[in-house]
Formats: sequence, structure tokens, C-alpha cells
Amino acid sequence: MHCAARAAPELPAPACAAAPPPLQAPPPPCPASRRAPRAKSLEGLRPLTAMAASGTRLVRAARENVPKSGNKKNSGRSAFLKQKAAVFPEHDNDTPRVMLRRIILTQPQVSPVAPQLYKDEETEAAQSELPSKRVSSVLDMQLPDLVPEDTSVATFRMTKKRKKLSISEFERAVDKRLPQNQDRSMLDSTALARSLRMSLGSLIPPDTVEKRGLRRRPKIRKAIDMKAFEGGVEQNMLKRKAQSCLVDSQTASEIQAPSLTSDAEIVLSNTELFIHPQFDEQNQNKLSALEPQLSDSKTSAQRSKISDAAQEEARLVGLVSSVDTNEGRTQTHSEELILNHEHFGGMTHVSCKTPVKQQEAANRWSSSLPPRSPSKSLESPVTLKPKRSFSMSLREVVSRIIEDLDVSDTEEEMANTANKVEQIFREAAEHRANAGYSGHLEKQLTEKAELQITMAQDGKVKTETAALEEEGIAEGDVEHQGSPEAEQEIAKDVGAASLVRHSDAISSSEKNGVKPLEEAVEQADELEDQAIALELDGLEEEPTEDGAEDPESAEVSMRTPTFVRAAAYKPLLSTPHHVKPAAPKLSAPRPAKPVAPKSSLQPLQAKPVPKSSGTSRRKPREPEIASRLIKGIFRHYAKMPVARDAFKVVEKCSERYFKQLSNDLEAYTRHAGRRTVEMADLELLMRRQGLVTDKMPINVLIEDYFPMEYRKLLIPVAVCGNKVIPSK
Amino acid sequence: RMKRLAPRSTLRKIIKKHKPELRLAANADLLVHLSFLLFLHRLAEEARTIAFENKSKIIKPEHTIAAAKVI
Repeated sequence: MHCAARAAPELPAPACAAAPPPLQAPPPPCPASRRAPRAKSLEGLRPLTAMAASGTRLVRAARENVPKSGNKKNSGRSAFLKQKAAVFPEHDNDTPRVMLRRIILTQPQVSPVAPQLYKDEETEAAQSELPSKRVSSVLDMQLPDLVPEDTSVATFRMTKKRKKLSISEFERAVDKRLPQNQDRSMLDSTALARSLRMSLGSLIPPDTVEKRGLRRRPKIRKAIDMKAFEGGVEQNMLKRKAQSCLVDSQTASEIQAPSLTSDAEIVLSNTELFIHPQFDEQNQNKLSALEPQLSDSKTSAQRSKISDAAQEEARLVGLVSSVDTNEGRTQTHSEELILNHEHFGGMTHVSCKTPVKQQEAANRWSSSLPPRSPSKSLESPVTLKPKRSFSMSLREVVSRIIEDLDVSDTEEEMANTANKVEQIFREAAEHRANAGYSGHLEKQLTEKAELQITMAQDGKVKTETAALEEEGIAEGDVEHQGSPEAEQEIAKDVGAASLVRHSDAISSSEKNGVKPLEEAVEQADELEDQAIALELDGLEEEPTEDGAEDPESAEVSMRTPTFVRAAAYKPLLSTPHHVKPAAPKLSAPRPAKPVAPKSSLQPLQAKPVPKSSGTSRRKPREPEIASRLIKGIFRHYAKMPVARDAFKVVEKCSERYFKQLSNDLEAYTRHAGRRTVEMADLELLMRRQGLVTDKMPINVLIEDYFPMEYRKLLIPVAVCGNKVIPSK
Repeated sequence: RMKRLAPRSTLRKIIKKHKPELRLAANADLLVHLSFLLFLHRLAEEARTIAFENKSKIIKPEHTIAAAKVI
């Protein structure tokens, strides 16, 4: 019966099927219109057109179809059309034409049409609100209708897809989505496209759409949906490279979010990545907390003299070195050097840390144990950062310190650290003073000299003098000839009672004939080395008397008295050189010396004996700066006649200057991770000395002081012929 | 006025003596010499100032020592 009625219903049916889903307007007036002459159909259509919001084209098409189909439509469709018209009067305009088109194009497609009708009716019933949708769907329908003549299945599929879409769209509509978005979604009309839009268009609103859609479902599904969404996103990523970055980042973040929440360790690891500096600072805070607690009483006096940053450094150094002493002495020195480099390089770095440390000290100190593991784990990532490489080594040591502190008895450690802090503090201070030639150092050193003097007064003088006497006798007469005179002079200059005592003791033991100063100069050099040995030998006894708790602390304590004593003795023994700038200055290079000779104390003890006999052995070890060169330079700069004695002082000063210079250069080079001193290191040195400033670049200095041939070597010079000297 | 040549080899030997493991770049010793010259310059200026303060026409060792203390 359908066949018979096909003619009639076919035209209207496809039209109804096509139109209604989008239009919701099985045209009730259609049958009436169709029954009626054209005018009536047109009239019937007119209100429909008026009612349809967007479908003018379709309406026209419908109108066109209506006259085409003419009478055929009238009978069979009446019932459907009436129903549809009754329910959805708005879209009746489209349906006739669409129906006609369908009938024309899809005549054999009765079965799909019929069920489509029903389905469309259902969808129409559901989608009473969305005329635009249907319009667009009608468009879509029309397009596929027009293109594939036989694609009933295709249309069916399309409709089915549209149905699916429509259902979801209905959901969205229920969830108060804007019609525009729905149009968008409709237009795409693919699940993938939907997910695409969701992911790409604007991640937040599409997510909310999905979430709204998911609201009905239990929340548990969210994870799954997210994952599915992410899977779809990944697919989209392959398709759309341009937006893949955004998707990746966001999906990654999304993926991470659940994983982090689920995994505490992952959270920890993530936080570690961020908390590196904080942890390190916290570690340092712990250390700083330790240090102030322990060494306040002892080092307060010294601290007052030094800037806060320097103090923090010293504390760090102290703790660092304390830990290292447990491991090895050399490390402490390197740490000191490193810290000194840090000091040299940028005080701000440390100073920025220090306030943070102080703030977090109290909190972190109590929780030293738990962060140990992260601190350990931090060590490896900590090392990865190149910028902080130097400070990171500090942190490593710091973490080690924490471990050690936690492992061992804290009290013992603290006590040790207190001592070490003291002494290393002094050393560090002296190190700094060496580089900076600061006046503070002098004060400190005078302080220390006074302390040492007081210590000497306690009774160690005798041991020292005895050792000195012995050594002096062993060494021989030649070397100490000029010493008594110079010693007295030095004694006057320095004005230290102990020194005078020493000088008296020495002079009494070693009085000899006077020799020309030149020889004395050479011998004084030898004397210096021997003096160091003597001092060290003498000082070895001291720490035991000091009652150091550990051999390491004893070593540390040995250090400080070592170089201070060196400072005290240096003027005495280096007299032929006419007392280089006093004890404070003398002690400056001492810190470097004790480190090296400290390890070789025992061989040094043996050396003085053979040294005395073999004067020739020392010469090749000591390349001398051409004295006449120095004299000439000095005279030129002084613009006044210079006494020979004064010139000796200059000579001594220059020697010590070179020692300091080499130490500093080594420190700089090591800080830069290099084994070779480069121009940058030297420039840094001069910058620290205040020779090179922002106003005074090094090239200007080069031009000022160097002859042309040197300038050419140091400064790239462009010459004619497009050549640059020196060629790179 | 002064000597023209800087004692490059001597400088290298001195540094080697103090720091055997340390190496010098190609013309780094010239910069070392430069810094040394500047150091002497400062020392001489300070010694001269102190000698002036002591109303002395000659730079004496005491002046030099005091100058070194300052620097």
C-alpha cells in the first residue's frame, strides 16, 4: 500500500523526513496546501515561512517542491502532515519542498524514509526548541540528498549520526547551551570532531560541556571520561599539529594531576623539583641555625667585625668544613676556597640566601630527619643545575652535614663544629681579607695576634722559643745574621710584647756577625720557609695544649695559631727583608701556607736540617723577580729617591703579593671549573682589587701601562687588509 | 723610562713555584704583570704620601711598611 501511496507520501514523506528532523515541521498545512491549489499551498506555506526563523531558502525550496509535486502529496501525507503541523507549526515551510525533493531523489527509499519519519518525529518532539538546528540539519540533509542519489544508507547513516548528535545536543540544550555552540557541534557532526572541538576550541568551555553532560553520570566516570577525552585528544593531536602543543601541555597537566594526587611520591618528586632552592636554603638554614646556636658565644667578638654576609659565609664554611673535617681536611679548604670564591663572585647570592635561611631555620631544624631523604635525592638533581653548581656543592656538603649531624651525636658534632667554626671562621676571614685587602682583616689579625700573644703569654712562648732556638742553631749562623737588628726594628714597629720576647730570645740564641743585606735577603727567603716549618713545629705542640677534642679540630686549631704565629714570627725571621707590612699583612698569606705545609709537616721538620747545609738547593725553587726591574718601576712611580731599605720592603711586599695573587687566581680558576688561568680570571682579580671598574675597563689599563707590542697581544687590533691582531 | 719588557718567564716561574698545578693562559702572564705594575704603583704612591707626611724627601722603609699596611 505504500507503493500506491508512495507517490503521494513519497514526496511529502521525504520532505517531511528531511524537514522535520531539523525543522520539526511535518507540514500539517502541507496536505491542506497540497490539496488546495497552489495558492492555498502557498498560503499555507506563508505562515510557515513566517514562523520559521531561518529557512527561507528551504521554504522557497519547499514552495518550489510543492508546485512540482502538486497533487501527489495530498492524500497520503495528510495524517502525518497534520500531526506534524500540529506539533511543530514552525517548520512546515521546509517540509513540503524537502519532502518533494526526497521523493524525487530517493524514490526507492521508502523504508528508510518511513522509519525516518518516526524517528524524526521523535526527535522533533524532543527538539522543540531548536529550529536552527534543524535548519542546519536540513541543509546537511539536502546536501547529501542532492549529492548521492542512491545513498539511502548514507542518508540513513547521516540521519542516525544526526540523531545521536541530536540526542547529545538535546542534552546540551537541556544543560542550557547556547544555540551557536550547538550549531557548531551540529555542523561537525562527528564524534571525533566533537572531541576535537572540545579539546581544541576552548578547552575550558568544552570541558564544561562534557562535564555538564556527565553530570548525570556518577563522578567516578570522570576519570575514565578524562582518559577517553585525552585519548581522543591524542588522536586530534595527530591531526592538528598546530594546536598540538596546547593540547599536549594541557593533557600532560591533566594527566599529571590525577597521577600526582594518587601518588604521594610523585608529588614529592614534583615538589622536589620545585623546592630545590627551598630545600637547599632550608638545609642552609639548618646549618645556620646550628651555627648561631653553637658559636655565638665564641665568635661573637669576631663576628662583630665582619659583615653579616661574611658571617653567614663563615658559618656555612664552619659547618661545611666541620663535616669535611670528618671526611678530609683538604675538602674543607676547598670549601673555604669555594666559599671565598662565592664571596668574591657575589656576596649578594649568599646574602639573599641568608635571610631566608634565618627565617626558616627554626622550622627546618626540627624536621631535619624527614628532609634528609629528599635532601639526598636533591643532591643529584641539585647537581644538575649549572647555574647553582657552586652553591650546589655547598648544598651537597650541607646535606652531608645534615646527615652526619643526624647520624652522629648532635652534641658532639655541635661542639666540634663550634670549635671548627671559630677557627675556620678566622681562616675564612683571613682568606677574604687577602683578596680584598680590607682593613677589617688587619683589625682581626691584630685581634688574633693579641689573642695569640695572650696565649703565648700563658707559657707557650717558652716552647716556641725553645723550638726556635733549636731550629735556629740547627740551621746555622748565616741566616740569622741580620735578624737581631731587624727583629728589634720589627719589635718596635709592631710593638707586640711577645714579639719582643721572641726577638730577644732569638737574638740571644743566634747572634752573629752582620752581613750584607743582599745575602740576608736570600737567606731571609730561606728563613721564611724555615720559619714556617719552625712555627708549625712549635705550633704542633700547642693544639694539644689547647685541648682540642678531636684531632681534626686540633688540626683546625693548629691552623689558626699557625698562621697567626707565622704572622708573629714572620717579621722576626724575615728581617732582612725589612719587615714586610707587619703582622696583619704577613698573616694574610699564611693561611695558604699552612694548608700545604700542614700536610708535609713532618717532612718539613726533617728538611730544615739538610736545608741549612744546602743553600744552593733553594735557589732553583725560588725564581726571583728582577730586582732592578722592581727598583726601576718603583722609582718611576714614586718620583722620589727610594732608600735601599725601603726597596727591600717593596721586594718583600711584591713577593707576598705574588703569593696572594697566585692563590686568588687558583681560587678563581677553580671556581670556574678550569685548570688554566684565563684572562677572565685575571680581570676578575683586578676588578676585585678595584683596578678595573665599570669606569675603567681593563683595556684602558692595558693601554696605559703596556708597550705597544704587549697591547697588540692583549687587545685585538684591527689593521688594514681586514685583519685582526691577534687573529682568533 | 722603565724597562720595556716584562719578565714573562720569571713570572711564570714564580706562579709555578707557588701553585705548581696551576696553568696560565697564553698572554695571561702579561695581565699578571699588569696587575703587578698596578700594585707597585699603588704602593709607591702610598709610600710617597707617607713620606710627604713625614716631611721626608726620601722614601724610607718605615714609610713603605706603613704603606703596605694600608694596602
